[in-house]
Amino acid sequence: MFLEIKNISKSYKKEKVVKNLNFSLDANLTLSVLGKSGCGKTTMLKIIAGLESSEEGEIFLDAKNITREKAEKRNTIYLYQEDLLFPHLNVFENIAFALHIRKLPEKVIITKVKTMLDNLELSGQDHKMPNELSGGQRQRVSFGRAIISNPSLLLLDEPFGSLDSLTRNKMQKLFKNLSRKYNITSIFVTHDLKEALLMGDQIGLMKEGNLKVYDSKEEFINDPGTGVQNEILFWDKLKTGESVEENNSI
Amino acid sequence: MKISKHQLGIVFFILIGVVPFFGALLYAVLYSFGIVGILNEGFTFLFWKSVFHSGDFVKSLGYSMSIALVSVILSVGGALWLAINFTRNFQSRFFSFIIYLPLAIPGIVTAFFTFQLLSKGGLFSRIFHRLGWIESASGFPDLVNDTYAIGIVLAFITLVLPFFLLLFLSVYKNENIEQLSSLAKSLGANSTQVIRRIIVPILLKKTWIVIVLYFIFLLGSYEVPLILGQEHPQMLSVLIIREIKQYDLTKISEGYAIAVMYTIMVSLAALILFLPKKKISHET
Repeated sequence: MFLEIKNISKSYKKEKVVKNLNFSLDANLTLSVLGKSGCGKTTMLKIIAGLESSEEGEIFLDAKNITREKAEKRNTIYLYQEDLLFPHLNVFENIAFALHIRKLPEKVIITKVKTMLDNLELSGQDHKMPNELSGGQRQRVSFGRAIISNPSLLLLDEPFGSLDSLTRNKMQKLFKNLSRKYNITSIFVTHDLKEALLMGDQIGLMKEGNLKVYDSKEEFINDPGTGVQNEILFWDKLKTGESVEENNSI
Repeated sequence: MKISKHQLGIVFFILIGVVPFFGALLYAVLYSFGIVGILNEGFTFLFWKSVFHSGDFVKSLGYSMSIALVSVILSVGGALWLAINFTRNFQSRFFSFIIYLPLAIPGIVTAFFTFQLLSKGGLFSRIFHRLGWIESASGFPDLVNDTYAIGIVLAFITLVLPFFLLLFLSVYKNENIEQLSSLAKSLGANSTQVIRRIIVPILLKKTWIVIVLYFIFLLGSYEVPLILGQEHPQMLSVLIIREIKQYDLTKISEGYAIAVMYTIMVSLAALILFLPKKKISHET
Protein backbone atom coordinates (compact mmCIF):
# COMPACT_ATOMS: atom_id res chain seq x y z
CA MET A 1 0.00 0.00 0.00
CA PHE A 2 1.26 3.49 -0.81
CA LEU A 3 -0.18 5.19 2.26
CA GLU A 4 -0.68 3.35 5.53
CA ILE A 5 -2.13 4.95 8.64
CA LYS A 6 -1.80 2.90 11.80
CA ASN A 7 -3.54 3.63 15.11
CA ILE A 8 -3.37 7.44 14.86
CA SER A 9 -5.08 9.30 17.71
CA LYS A 10 -5.22 12.94 18.74
CA SER A 11 -6.84 14.84 21.61
CA TYR A 12 -7.37 18.54 22.28
CA LYS A 13 -7.42 19.11 26.02
CA LYS A 14 -9.45 16.11 27.17
CA GLU A 15 -11.49 15.58 24.03
CA LYS A 16 -10.32 12.91 21.62
CA VAL A 17 -10.88 14.32 18.13
CA VAL A 18 -9.24 11.53 16.13
CA LYS A 19 -9.67 7.98 17.45
CA ASN A 20 -7.47 5.08 16.50
CA LEU A 21 -7.31 5.85 12.81
CA ASN A 22 -6.45 2.87 10.57
CA PHE A 23 -6.62 2.82 6.80
CA SER A 24 -4.50 2.45 3.69
CA LEU A 25 -4.55 3.82 0.18
CA ASP A 26 -3.03 2.61 -3.09
CA ALA A 27 -0.94 4.93 -5.27
CA ASN A 28 -2.71 7.16 -7.82
CA LEU A 29 -6.09 6.80 -6.13
CA THR A 30 -8.31 9.28 -4.33
CA LEU A 31 -9.92 8.52 -1.01
CA SER A 32 -12.99 10.67 -0.34
CA VAL A 33 -13.71 11.25 3.30
CA LEU A 34 -17.24 12.34 4.11
CA GLY A 35 -18.07 13.89 7.45
CA LYS A 36 -19.83 16.69 9.27
CA SER A 37 -18.04 19.79 10.52
CA GLY A 38 -16.04 19.10 13.67
CA CYS A 39 -15.80 15.34 13.17
CA GLY A 40 -12.00 15.39 13.02
CA LYS A 41 -11.45 15.44 9.23
CA THR A 42 -9.18 18.51 9.21
CA THR A 43 -7.15 17.27 12.18
CA MET A 44 -6.65 13.93 10.43
CA LEU A 45 -5.36 15.65 7.28
CA LYS A 46 -3.08 17.98 9.27
CA ILE A 47 -1.59 15.03 11.14
CA ILE A 48 -0.84 13.25 7.86
CA ALA A 49 0.63 16.51 6.46
CA GLY A 50 2.84 16.95 9.53
CA LEU A 51 1.17 20.23 10.52
CA GLU A 52 -0.19 18.64 13.71
CA SER A 53 1.37 15.90 15.79
CA SER A 54 -0.41 12.72 16.82
CA GLU A 55 -0.23 11.25 20.31
CA GLU A 56 0.18 7.75 19.05
CA GLY A 57 0.33 5.72 15.86
CA GLU A 58 2.43 5.70 12.72
CA ILE A 59 2.20 6.97 9.16
CA PHE A 60 3.91 5.17 6.30
CA LEU A 61 4.22 6.79 2.88
CA ASP A 62 5.69 4.70 0.09
CA ALA A 63 6.95 2.22 2.73
CA LYS A 64 8.78 4.98 4.63
CA ASN A 65 7.81 5.88 8.17
CA ILE A 66 7.14 9.64 8.09
CA THR A 67 5.50 9.95 11.51
CA ARG A 68 8.27 12.10 12.96
CA GLU A 69 9.27 13.88 9.71
CA LYS A 70 8.79 17.64 9.51
CA ALA A 71 6.00 18.90 7.21
CA GLU A 72 8.45 20.23 4.62
CA LYS A 73 10.22 16.86 4.38
CA ARG A 74 7.11 14.72 3.80
CA ASN A 75 6.34 15.74 0.20
CA THR A 76 2.67 15.79 1.15
CA ILE A 77 0.72 18.95 0.41
CA TYR A 78 -2.23 20.10 2.47
CA LEU A 79 -4.70 22.31 0.63
CA TYR A 80 -6.70 24.56 2.93
CA GLN A 81 -10.46 25.06 2.87
CA GLU A 82 -9.89 28.65 1.80
CA ASP A 83 -8.18 29.27 -1.52
CA LEU A 84 -5.05 30.51 0.25
CA LEU A 85 -2.73 32.20 -2.21
CA PHE A 86 0.39 34.11 -1.22
CA PRO A 87 -0.94 37.70 -1.44
CA HIS A 88 2.42 39.26 -2.35
CA LEU A 89 3.02 36.94 -5.32
CA ASN A 90 1.27 36.95 -8.69
CA VAL A 91 -0.27 33.86 -10.32
CA PHE A 92 3.03 32.80 -11.94
CA GLU A 93 5.03 33.20 -8.74
CA ASN A 94 2.38 31.43 -6.67
CA ILE A 95 2.41 28.39 -8.94
CA ALA A 96 6.21 28.45 -9.16
CA PHE A 97 6.65 28.70 -5.38
CA ALA A 98 7.53 25.06 -4.66
CA LEU A 99 9.82 24.95 -7.71
CA HIS A 100 11.74 28.02 -6.52
CA ILE A 101 12.06 26.40 -3.09
CA ARG A 102 13.56 23.33 -4.76
CA LYS A 103 15.95 25.67 -6.65
CA LEU A 104 15.10 24.33 -10.12
CA PRO A 105 16.66 26.18 -13.08
CA GLU A 106 14.62 29.22 -14.14
CA LYS A 107 14.03 27.84 -17.65
CA VAL A 108 12.57 24.61 -16.27
CA ILE A 109 10.36 26.60 -13.92
CA ILE A 110 9.02 28.78 -16.73
CA THR A 111 8.25 25.75 -18.93
CA LYS A 112 6.55 23.84 -16.11
CA VAL A 113 4.48 26.81 -14.98
CA LYS A 114 3.42 27.62 -18.53
CA THR A 115 2.24 24.03 -19.05
CA MET A 116 0.40 24.12 -15.74
CA LEU A 117 -1.26 27.43 -16.63
CA ASP A 118 -2.50 25.82 -19.86
CA ASN A 119 -3.83 22.82 -17.94
CA LEU A 120 -5.59 25.12 -15.50
CA GLU A 121 -7.03 27.20 -18.35
CA LEU A 122 -5.29 30.23 -16.90
CA SER A 123 -3.01 31.16 -19.80
CA GLY A 124 -2.46 34.91 -19.97
CA GLN A 125 -3.41 35.38 -16.30
CA ASP A 126 0.12 34.82 -15.01
CA HIS A 127 0.76 38.44 -14.05
CA LYS A 128 -2.45 38.88 -12.06
CA MET A 129 -2.34 39.28 -8.30
CA PRO A 130 -4.56 37.03 -6.12
CA ASN A 131 -7.00 39.86 -5.38
CA GLU A 132 -7.67 40.21 -9.11
CA LEU A 133 -8.91 36.63 -9.47
CA SER A 134 -12.34 35.04 -9.02
CA GLY A 135 -12.92 32.32 -6.41
CA GLY A 136 -12.68 29.57 -9.03
CA GLN A 137 -9.49 31.01 -10.52
CA ARG A 138 -7.91 31.27 -7.09
CA GLN A 139 -8.76 27.65 -6.37
CA ARG A 140 -7.25 26.59 -9.72
CA VAL A 141 -4.03 28.45 -8.94
CA SER A 142 -4.02 26.78 -5.54
CA PHE A 143 -4.33 23.34 -7.21
CA GLY A 144 -1.69 24.12 -9.78
CA ARG A 145 0.75 25.28 -7.11
CA ALA A 146 0.22 22.02 -5.19
CA ILE A 147 0.34 19.65 -8.15
CA ILE A 148 3.31 21.20 -9.98
CA SER A 149 5.72 20.08 -7.29
CA ASN A 150 4.64 16.48 -7.89
CA PRO A 151 3.71 15.66 -4.28
CA SER A 152 3.58 12.08 -3.09
CA LEU A 153 0.25 12.78 -1.45
CA LEU A 154 -2.25 15.60 -1.85
CA LEU A 155 -4.55 16.36 1.09
CA LEU A 156 -7.59 18.41 0.16
CA ASP A 157 -9.68 19.91 2.93
CA GLU A 158 -13.11 20.77 1.49
CA PRO A 159 -11.42 22.68 -1.33
CA PHE A 160 -14.63 23.61 -3.15
CA GLY A 161 -16.69 24.51 -0.08
CA SER A 162 -16.81 28.22 -0.87
CA LEU A 163 -17.60 27.91 -4.60
CA ASP A 164 -20.98 28.20 -6.31
CA SER A 165 -22.41 24.96 -7.73
CA LEU A 166 -21.43 25.66 -11.35
CA THR A 167 -17.83 26.53 -10.53
CA ARG A 168 -17.76 23.60 -8.13
CA ASN A 169 -18.74 21.17 -10.92
CA LYS A 170 -16.04 22.61 -13.19
CA MET A 171 -13.44 22.32 -10.45
CA GLN A 172 -14.41 18.73 -9.70
CA LYS A 173 -13.87 17.81 -13.36
CA LEU A 174 -10.61 19.72 -13.48
CA PHE A 175 -9.35 17.94 -10.37
CA LYS A 176 -10.26 14.52 -11.80
CA ASN A 177 -8.42 15.35 -15.04
CA LEU A 178 -5.34 16.65 -13.28
CA SER A 179 -5.30 13.68 -10.90
CA ARG A 180 -5.20 11.30 -13.86
CA LYS A 181 -2.69 13.38 -15.81
CA TYR A 182 -0.23 13.80 -12.94
CA ASN A 183 -0.91 10.42 -11.22
CA ILE A 184 -1.92 12.07 -7.99
CA THR A 185 -2.61 10.13 -4.80
CA SER A 186 -4.99 12.11 -2.65
CA ILE A 187 -7.35 12.27 0.28
CA PHE A 188 -10.34 14.46 -0.49
CA VAL A 189 -12.32 15.62 2.52
CA THR A 190 -15.82 16.93 1.98
CA HIS A 191 -19.16 17.23 3.73
CA ASP A 192 -21.00 16.95 0.41
CA LEU A 193 -22.33 13.45 -0.26
CA LYS A 194 -22.45 13.83 -4.03
CA GLU A 195 -18.95 15.26 -4.15
CA ALA A 196 -17.62 12.39 -2.04
CA LEU A 197 -19.10 9.87 -4.46
CA LEU A 198 -17.86 11.74 -7.52
CA MET A 199 -14.32 12.41 -6.41
CA GLY A 200 -13.30 9.24 -4.62
CA ASP A 201 -12.01 5.95 -5.95
CA GLN A 202 -12.52 4.82 -2.36
CA ILE A 203 -14.89 6.35 0.16
CA GLY A 204 -14.69 6.75 3.92
CA LEU A 205 -17.11 8.11 6.47
CA MET A 206 -15.85 9.98 9.51
CA LYS A 207 -18.00 10.31 12.63
CA GLU A 208 -16.81 11.69 15.96
CA GLY A 209 -13.16 10.98 15.22
CA ASN A 210 -13.69 7.47 13.85
CA LEU A 211 -13.10 6.75 10.18
CA LYS A 212 -14.67 3.85 8.37
CA VAL A 213 -13.31 3.19 4.88
CA TYR A 214 -15.63 1.15 2.69
CA ASP A 215 -14.42 -1.68 0.48
CA SER A 216 -16.56 -0.51 -2.40
CA LYS A 217 -18.88 2.32 -3.40
CA GLU A 218 -21.81 -0.14 -3.30
CA GLU A 219 -21.12 -0.90 0.35
CA PHE A 220 -21.02 2.84 1.07
CA ILE A 221 -24.28 3.42 -0.80
CA ASN A 222 -26.05 0.56 0.98
CA ASP A 223 -24.93 1.61 4.48
CA PRO A 224 -27.88 3.49 6.04
CA GLY A 225 -25.44 5.54 8.15
CA THR A 226 -23.94 7.31 5.14
CA GLY A 227 -27.16 9.08 4.21
CA VAL A 228 -27.17 7.90 0.60
CA GLN A 229 -30.38 5.92 1.05
CA ASN A 230 -32.04 8.95 2.61
CA GLU A 231 -30.91 11.03 -0.33
CA ILE A 232 -32.31 8.51 -2.85
CA LEU A 233 -35.55 8.42 -0.90
CA PHE A 234 -35.71 12.20 -0.97
CA TRP A 235 -35.48 12.37 -4.75
CA ASP A 236 -37.89 9.45 -5.19
CA LYS A 237 -40.44 11.17 -2.96
CA LEU A 238 -39.93 14.43 -4.82
CA LYS A 239 -40.64 12.63 -8.09
CA THR A 240 -43.81 11.03 -6.78
CA GLY A 241 -44.98 14.24 -5.12
CA GLU A 242 -44.82 12.95 -1.50
CA SER A 243 -43.83 15.14 1.45
CA VAL A 244 -40.02 15.51 1.72
CA GLU A 245 -39.82 17.46 5.00
CA GLU A 246 -38.61 14.57 7.17
CA ASN A 247 -35.65 13.77 4.94
CA ASN A 248 -32.20 14.02 6.46
CA SER A 249 -28.77 13.26 5.16
CA ILE A 250 -25.90 12.08 7.42
CA MET B 1 -28.14 74.93 -4.85
CA LYS B 2 -27.61 71.83 -2.69
CA ILE B 3 -24.10 70.93 -1.53
CA SER B 4 -23.49 67.21 -1.06
CA LYS B 5 -21.59 65.79 1.92
CA HIS B 6 -18.73 64.88 -0.39
CA GLN B 7 -18.45 68.46 -1.70
CA LEU B 8 -18.69 69.80 1.86
CA GLY B 9 -15.84 67.49 2.86
CA ILE B 10 -13.69 68.81 0.01
CA VAL B 11 -14.45 72.42 1.01
CA PHE B 12 -13.41 71.69 4.62
CA PHE B 13 -10.29 69.87 3.46
CA ILE B 14 -9.30 72.87 1.33
CA LEU B 15 -10.07 75.35 4.13
CA ILE B 16 -8.41 73.40 6.95
CA GLY B 17 -5.68 71.48 5.14
CA VAL B 18 -4.72 73.11 1.86
CA VAL B 19 -5.15 76.88 2.43
CA PRO B 20 -3.07 77.12 5.67
CA PHE B 21 -0.35 74.87 4.20
CA PHE B 22 0.01 76.80 0.97
CA GLY B 23 -0.46 80.11 2.82
CA ALA B 24 2.44 79.31 5.15
CA LEU B 25 4.54 78.00 2.26
CA LEU B 26 3.88 81.15 0.22
CA TYR B 27 4.81 83.32 3.22
CA ALA B 28 8.04 81.34 3.71
CA VAL B 29 8.91 81.62 -0.01
CA LEU B 30 8.31 85.39 0.02
CA TYR B 31 10.36 85.75 3.20
CA SER B 32 13.21 83.66 1.83
CA PHE B 33 13.40 85.92 -1.27
CA GLY B 34 13.33 89.07 0.86
CA ILE B 35 9.90 90.19 -0.37
CA VAL B 36 8.39 90.23 3.14
CA GLY B 37 10.12 90.56 6.51
CA ILE B 38 11.06 93.33 8.94
CA LEU B 39 14.55 94.10 7.68
CA ASN B 40 14.17 92.82 4.09
CA GLU B 41 14.47 95.35 1.28
CA GLY B 42 13.00 93.56 -1.71
CA PHE B 43 13.56 90.58 -3.98
CA THR B 44 16.97 88.95 -3.60
CA PHE B 45 18.67 85.55 -3.97
CA LEU B 46 21.09 86.49 -1.19
CA PHE B 47 19.56 84.31 1.51
CA TRP B 48 19.35 81.23 -0.73
CA LYS B 49 22.96 81.74 -1.84
CA SER B 50 24.03 82.11 1.78
CA VAL B 51 22.28 78.87 2.76
CA PHE B 52 24.00 76.91 -0.02
CA HIS B 53 27.41 78.49 0.64
CA SER B 54 27.34 77.75 4.38
CA GLY B 55 26.63 74.08 3.64
CA ASP B 56 24.56 73.84 6.84
CA PHE B 57 21.46 72.66 5.00
CA VAL B 58 23.19 69.84 3.14
CA LYS B 59 25.03 68.69 6.30
CA SER B 60 21.88 68.88 8.34
CA LEU B 61 19.87 67.06 5.68
CA GLY B 62 22.45 64.26 5.45
CA TYR B 63 22.63 64.03 9.24
CA SER B 64 18.82 63.95 9.60
CA MET B 65 18.41 61.37 6.83
CA SER B 66 21.07 59.10 8.35
CA ILE B 67 19.47 59.27 11.81
CA ALA B 68 15.95 58.72 10.46
CA LEU B 69 17.11 55.85 8.24
CA VAL B 70 19.05 54.06 10.99
CA SER B 71 16.18 54.55 13.45
CA VAL B 72 13.56 53.23 11.01
CA ILE B 73 15.71 50.25 9.96
CA LEU B 74 16.44 49.27 13.58
CA SER B 75 12.82 49.80 14.66
CA VAL B 76 11.38 47.86 11.72
CA GLY B 77 14.00 45.11 12.13
CA GLY B 78 13.35 44.81 15.86
CA ALA B 79 9.58 44.88 15.43
CA LEU B 80 9.78 42.21 12.69
CA TRP B 81 11.91 39.99 14.90
CA LEU B 82 9.52 40.34 17.83
CA ALA B 83 6.40 39.90 15.68
CA ILE B 84 7.74 36.74 14.04
CA ASN B 85 9.18 35.09 17.14
CA PHE B 86 6.66 36.08 19.79
CA THR B 87 3.38 36.39 17.87
CA ARG B 88 1.45 34.23 20.31
CA ASN B 89 2.93 35.87 23.43
CA PHE B 90 1.67 39.28 22.31
CA GLN B 91 -1.89 37.97 22.25
CA SER B 92 -1.88 37.98 26.07
CA ARG B 93 -3.22 41.06 27.90
CA PHE B 94 -0.01 41.72 29.79
CA PHE B 95 2.18 41.87 26.66
CA SER B 96 -0.42 43.94 24.77
CA PHE B 97 -0.28 46.45 27.64
CA ILE B 98 3.50 46.54 27.46
CA ILE B 99 3.41 47.38 23.75
CA TYR B 100 0.69 50.00 24.04
CA LEU B 101 2.30 51.78 26.99
CA PRO B 102 5.20 53.47 25.11
CA LEU B 103 2.71 54.81 22.54
CA ALA B 104 1.10 56.90 25.28
CA ILE B 105 4.39 58.61 26.19
CA PRO B 106 5.08 61.87 24.27
CA GLY B 107 8.35 62.33 22.40
CA ILE B 108 9.56 65.06 24.74
CA VAL B 109 9.12 62.79 27.79
CA THR B 110 10.98 59.96 26.04
CA ALA B 111 13.79 62.41 25.24
CA PHE B 112 14.01 63.50 28.90
CA PHE B 113 13.95 59.89 30.13
CA THR B 114 16.72 59.01 27.67
CA PHE B 115 18.74 62.00 28.87
CA GLN B 116 18.22 61.06 32.53
CA LEU B 117 19.29 57.48 31.84
CA LEU B 118 22.17 57.91 29.39
CA SER B 119 23.84 61.25 30.09
CA LYS B 120 27.20 61.40 31.90
CA GLY B 121 25.40 62.42 35.08
CA GLY B 122 22.50 60.01 34.46
CA LEU B 123 21.31 56.83 36.11
CA PHE B 124 23.41 54.34 34.17
CA SER B 125 26.54 56.44 34.64
CA ARG B 126 25.92 56.43 38.42
CA ILE B 127 25.28 52.67 38.48
CA PHE B 128 28.45 52.03 36.48
CA HIS B 129 30.39 54.29 38.85
CA ARG B 130 28.93 52.54 41.92
CA LEU B 131 29.87 49.16 40.45
CA GLY B 132 33.39 50.44 39.91
CA TRP B 133 33.29 50.02 36.13
CA ILE B 134 34.15 53.72 35.57
CA GLU B 135 36.28 56.00 37.74
CA SER B 136 34.27 59.18 37.25
CA ALA B 137 31.20 60.42 35.34
CA SER B 138 33.45 61.57 32.48
CA GLY B 139 34.45 57.93 31.93
CA PHE B 140 30.89 57.09 30.85
CA PRO B 141 30.59 56.95 27.03
CA ASP B 142 28.91 59.83 25.18
CA LEU B 143 25.40 58.52 24.54
CA VAL B 144 23.51 61.83 24.49
CA ASN B 145 24.37 65.05 22.65
CA ASP B 146 26.94 62.86 20.89
CA THR B 147 28.41 62.85 17.36
CA TYR B 148 26.78 59.57 16.35
CA ALA B 149 23.33 60.57 17.66
CA ILE B 150 23.07 57.35 19.71
CA GLY B 151 20.69 59.00 22.20
CA ILE B 152 18.41 60.29 19.42
CA VAL B 153 18.35 56.90 17.69
CA LEU B 154 17.56 55.09 20.97
CA ALA B 155 14.77 57.55 21.77
CA PHE B 156 13.32 57.17 18.26
CA ILE B 157 13.44 53.38 18.55
CA THR B 158 11.62 53.54 21.90
CA LEU B 159 8.94 55.70 20.30
CA VAL B 160 8.56 53.94 16.96
CA LEU B 161 9.26 50.22 17.54
CA PRO B 162 6.09 49.54 19.56
CA PHE B 163 4.00 51.14 16.82
CA PHE B 164 5.59 48.95 14.13
CA LEU B 165 5.19 45.90 16.35
CA LEU B 166 1.46 46.55 16.70
CA LEU B 167 1.20 47.18 12.97
CA PHE B 168 3.01 43.94 12.08
CA LEU B 169 0.98 41.90 14.58
CA SER B 170 -2.21 43.26 13.09
CA VAL B 171 -1.09 42.49 9.51
CA TYR B 172 0.10 39.04 10.69
CA LYS B 173 -3.41 38.28 11.86
CA ASN B 174 -5.36 39.93 9.04
CA GLU B 175 -3.27 38.41 6.26
CA ASN B 176 -3.58 34.92 7.72
CA ILE B 177 0.19 34.60 7.87
CA GLU B 178 0.10 31.65 10.26
CA GLN B 179 -1.85 29.56 7.74
CA LEU B 180 0.25 30.84 4.83
CA SER B 181 3.37 29.76 6.72
CA SER B 182 1.96 26.26 7.26
CA LEU B 183 1.06 26.13 3.59
CA ALA B 184 4.57 27.20 2.57
CA LYS B 185 6.01 24.47 4.82
CA SER B 186 3.66 21.98 3.25
CA LEU B 187 5.02 23.08 -0.15
CA GLY B 188 8.53 22.29 1.01
CA ALA B 189 9.82 25.55 2.51
CA ASN B 190 11.92 25.32 5.66
CA SER B 191 11.55 27.79 8.56
CA THR B 192 14.12 30.24 7.17
CA GLN B 193 12.53 30.18 3.72
CA VAL B 194 9.10 30.74 5.26
CA ILE B 195 10.40 33.85 7.03
CA ARG B 196 12.39 35.11 4.04
CA ARG B 197 9.89 34.33 1.27
CA ILE B 198 6.53 34.63 3.00
CA ILE B 199 6.38 36.40 6.36
CA VAL B 200 8.80 39.30 5.86
CA PRO B 201 7.74 40.14 2.26
CA ILE B 202 4.04 40.14 3.18
CA LEU B 203 4.57 42.28 6.28
CA LEU B 204 6.78 44.77 4.44
CA LYS B 205 4.61 44.90 1.33
CA LYS B 206 1.52 45.69 3.39
CA THR B 207 3.24 48.34 5.54
CA TRP B 208 5.93 49.96 3.39
CA ILE B 209 3.99 53.20 2.91
CA VAL B 210 3.66 53.59 6.69
CA ILE B 211 7.37 52.84 7.06
CA VAL B 212 8.27 55.56 4.54
CA LEU B 213 5.86 58.01 6.22
CA TYR B 214 7.54 57.29 9.56
CA PHE B 215 10.91 57.99 7.96
CA ILE B 216 9.58 61.39 6.82
CA PHE B 217 8.10 61.97 10.28
CA LEU B 218 11.44 61.24 11.99
CA LEU B 219 13.25 63.39 9.43
CA GLY B 220 11.25 66.37 10.66
CA SER B 221 11.23 65.45 14.34
CA TYR B 222 11.97 68.36 16.70
CA GLU B 223 11.81 67.71 20.48
CA VAL B 224 13.99 64.59 20.61
CA PRO B 225 16.95 66.01 18.61
CA LEU B 226 16.58 69.34 20.44
CA ILE B 227 17.18 67.64 23.80
CA LEU B 228 19.48 64.79 22.77
CA GLY B 229 21.25 66.20 19.70
CA GLN B 230 24.65 67.87 19.38
CA GLU B 231 25.41 71.50 18.50
CA HIS B 232 26.58 70.89 14.96
CA PRO B 233 25.28 69.53 12.65
CA GLN B 234 21.72 69.55 13.90
CA MET B 235 18.66 67.80 12.62
CA LEU B 236 16.65 69.85 10.08
CA SER B 237 13.78 71.04 12.30
CA VAL B 238 16.17 72.15 15.03
CA LEU B 239 18.30 73.99 12.45
CA ILE B 240 15.25 75.72 10.92
CA ILE B 241 13.89 76.87 14.29
CA ARG B 242 17.38 78.01 15.36
CA GLU B 243 17.68 80.15 12.22
CA ILE B 244 14.18 81.60 12.46
CA LYS B 245 14.35 82.33 16.18
CA GLN B 246 17.87 83.69 16.41
CA TYR B 247 18.85 87.15 17.59
CA ASP B 248 20.23 88.23 14.18
CA LEU B 249 17.00 89.13 12.32
CA THR B 250 18.69 88.98 8.91
CA LYS B 251 19.13 85.21 9.44
CA ILE B 252 15.39 84.62 9.62
CA SER B 253 15.12 84.59 5.82
CA GLU B 254 17.77 81.87 5.65
CA GLY B 255 15.71 79.79 8.06
CA TYR B 256 12.71 80.18 5.78
CA ALA B 257 14.80 79.21 2.74
CA ILE B 258 15.76 75.95 4.49
CA ALA B 259 12.14 75.37 5.54
CA VAL B 260 10.98 75.87 1.92
CA MET B 261 13.54 73.37 0.59
CA TYR B 262 12.61 70.83 3.24
CA THR B 263 8.87 71.26 2.56
CA ILE B 264 9.34 70.85 -1.21
CA MET B 265 11.45 67.72 -0.67
CA VAL B 266 8.94 66.09 1.66
CA SER B 267 5.99 67.07 -0.57
CA LEU B 268 7.71 65.53 -3.60
CA ALA B 269 8.44 62.34 -1.63
CA ALA B 270 4.77 62.16 -0.56
CA LEU B 271 3.63 62.73 -4.14
CA ILE B 272 5.84 59.93 -5.45
CA LEU B 273 4.64 57.70 -2.64
CA PHE B 274 0.95 58.13 -3.37
CA LEU B 275 1.04 58.33 -7.16
CA PRO B 276 -0.57 55.27 -8.81
CA LYS B 277 2.08 52.72 -9.81
CA LYS B 278 2.37 50.85 -13.11
CA LYS B 279 2.09 47.07 -12.89
CA ILE B 280 5.00 44.91 -13.94
CA SER B 281 3.93 41.76 -15.74
CA HIS B 282 5.84 38.48 -15.59
CA GLU B 283 6.85 37.07 -18.96
CA THR B 284 6.33 33.38 -19.44
